[in-house]
Amino acid sequence: MKTPPPIERLVANLKRLPGIGEKSATRLAFFLLSAPDTLVTELADAMTRMKQEIVLCSECFDLTEVSPCSLCQDERRDPALLCVVEEPADRAAVERTGGWRGRYFVLGGALSPIDGIGPENLRIAELEARARSGTLKEVVLATNPNAEGDATAHYIAERLRPTGLRLTRIAYGMPMGGDLEYADHVTVGRSLKNRQELS
Amino acid sequence: MKTLHTEALLLRSVDVGESDRILHLLTPRTGRLTVVAKGARRSKKRFPGTLDFFNHLRVQVERRRPTSMPQLQLARLERTFDGIRRESRRFALGCYLLELLDRLSPEGGRAGDLKALFDFALGSLTLLDETRPDAALRTLLELQALDALGLRPELGRCVRCGTPIGAARSRGSSGSGGQSSAAALGFHIADGGPVCCAEPGEMLLPVHAGTLRALEGGLRLGLPQLGRLSLGGQALAEARALVGRFLRFHVGIELRSEAFLEERLTPAGAGGRLAHRDSNADSNARRA
Ligand SMILES: [Zn+2]
Ligand SMILES: [Zn+2]
Repeated sequence: MKTPPPIERLVANLKRLPGIGEKSATRLAFFLLSAPDTLVTELADAMTRMKQEIVLCSECFDLTEVSPCSLCQDERRDPALLCVVEEPADRAAVERTGGWRGRYFVLGGALSPIDGIGPENLRIAELEARARSGTLKEVVLATNPNAEGDATAHYIAERLRPTGLRLTRIAYGMPMGGDLEYADHVTVGRSLKNRQELS
Repeated sequence: MKTLHTEALLLRSVDVGESDRILHLLTPRTGRLTVVAKGARRSKKRFPGTLDFFNHLRVQVERRRPTSMPQLQLARLERTFDGIRRESRRFALGCYLLELLDRLSPEGGRAGDLKALFDFALGSLTLLDETRPDAALRTLLELQALDALGLRPELGRCVRCGTPIGAARSRGSSGSGGQSSAAALGFHIADGGPVCCAEPGEMLLPVHAGTLRALEGGLRLGLPQLGRLSLGGQALAEARALVGRFLRFHVGIELRSEAFLEERLTPAGAGGRLAHRDSNADSNARRA
């Protein structure tokens, strides 16, 4: 049996979403088809309104309804400490720890020359301007600990070195609940290198 | 292939579906090999942080049916090239080499050739891990990459008549501009070598015999010694133009990683315009 074109069209559109393959797209399409009309209109409305109401914070470039965002306006957060992350989800992950009392800066990704993503595609110039504004003391580079995230952190450090700011990189180590025997030797090696004094 | 155990380097990684990755690997057994790593974005057990660029891996690949894409079963880390991640010039050139190998590596071929290609890839990453590259090293690595890919240009004799370059009487462009030196030869990009007996009006890249000899010397050196060959001034500008254009001719497009590499490694000299063999042809071209 041939799928009617309206269903096909929705499936084709859902497949453009990240992580959605043919199977999931078809399942979602048939779910929406049998769902109450209100669910479908609310979903469509929520998507449209999100697109209209979410803006980028002018300070940290995180997603927000008001710019500057509530975090950037929070006077209790130390404006001299800046944590640089790749994506908004990474900022949320750091914030969930409850251990960071400084501000954030969202780069918008990592350097990925093989995919054609260079410094001009990230907010590196904006970060440089921020670093030269005179309010900062330390920049923590919290990009992902993979080849591209590491390279991005080092590239930013090369660019910011003339500012004389303290430049730090998040530590690598064994995951909590991890097992030395099953960890790859890069992780184990880095954990050893980044070992700490027992007090 | 049913089960393949081999060394590998990651050339490209593309996320697909909900949790999988399609990987382009370079192996000494198969050349370029496209595999799917099922659950690679979820399972930290099977591929614990190993599927990353600049990692020397040992992999197990299985192909269930001849028509299906081979699956990556295991990837163990042999060594990492951390130095490449820690300095932007190394990273830029490292990415560029991976992209180049991804574009031009054959899928299958003679065992000896495939092994040599893998050895080149591994050797160049080892070199970059320890050395901060400049435009000269970039040029020599590109040339060695072309050689390892079976695309070595002719540097010693005329590609038309076979006359050795030292013996050929160079016929520099006469009169008009007076810019090109009388000792300059011409290199034919598509023919892949110098030409001493060109037809009037042929588009050739001006190059001195000394530059060709320096490049030939660069091909004889082992990768660890490559940094010792000094290439500067006009020779570097000519070598960059020659290798750059020759490589572009074979790749067909500008590599995505080239812009970042250019930003990090600006060559000492510019140069490398295609020149006509004589003033007559020059004026013809201007009219056209
Ligand atoms: Zn903000
Ligand atoms: Zn000739």
